Amino acid sequence: MTTRDRSAHSADANRLATTFFESLNRGDVDAALSLFSSSAAFEIVPAALRGTAENTGRYFLSALLTAFPDLLMQIRSLMTTPNLAVVELKMEGTQAAEFLGVLNQEKHLDLDQAWMLWVNDDKITDLRAYWCQNQLYRRLAVKRLDRISILG
Amino acid sequence: MNSDATWIVQAFFDSYRLHDVDAMVSCCSELAEFHYIPFEVWGKQRVLRGDGKVRTIGKVLWTGLIQSFPDLTNEVQTLVGDESGNVAVEATLSGTQARVWGTIDNLGKRFTVRHLFRFRVNTEGLIESITAYWDSAEFQRQLGRVEID
Repeated sequence: MTTRDRSAHSADANRLATTFFESLNRGDVDAALSLFSSSAAFEIVPAALRGTAENTGRYFLSALLTAFPDLLMQIRSLMTTPNLAVVELKMEGTQAAEFLGVLNQEKHLDLDQAWMLWVNDDKITDLRAYWCQNQLYRRLAVKRLDRISILG
Repeated sequence: MNSDATWIVQAFFDSYRLHDVDAMVSCCSELAEFHYIPFEVWGKQRVLRGDGKVRTIGKVLWTGLIQSFPDLTNEVQTLVGDESGNVAVEATLSGTQARVWGTIDNLGKRFTVRHLFRFRVNTEGLIESITAYWDSAEFQRQLGRVEID
């Protein structure tokens, strides 16, 4: 691959990653999922969710946007190679519904995260996200890991 | 890919596996930044964060972690660099607790937790920034602590 080819492919990874998070910021799950290949893998490491973008991705992103209708993903850094984008971002939102078993206490969430998106043929083929679930629980006022759904 | 950048990051993980903290630090520039995002210790009046410099905060945390988990090791799954000195690493860290670690009492349990590291390597081939992400809830759960501070 020439330097020009590498730059072009890196631009694709950059564009796909940026468009993905812009779609989430608009609350548009369908637009976000339209960027994935038909058999793309989707994994949220701290939530122990792993499957396809079509099923697991739709479930997770829909739940995320239902729980945080004012969701804002603010990209802090973006590293790209010809087939990978690594995005560091801050996720913010105010809880309005149950999320991953956490009852809604209308708390504000701000959480640093890192997402990896592999791309091929102008589609996202694999996504993996990392963050600290302890920080998420702390922001949402959960007190114990064995009682995620209990208030107080 | 910037091979120098990936080479120094690989050397960093090799040194970490050997518990050679001085060698880990020597992979980094004098003023290298250190950001362990999930590291938060909530006290009554302040929050202690894993934020600072490699030679102050990083060295202390690595040394303490190795003392608390004497068989601490890492396995690198993904190591990718771009042409600007940025490197991303997926690695699994594991170890068996032998001492108290922060607010986690020693129950002699073992942890295995996936991490994502982001490095920036300078033009001299030294790491100038380390940022790490992992799930502390999973880490604490495996070690037997269920309270969230």
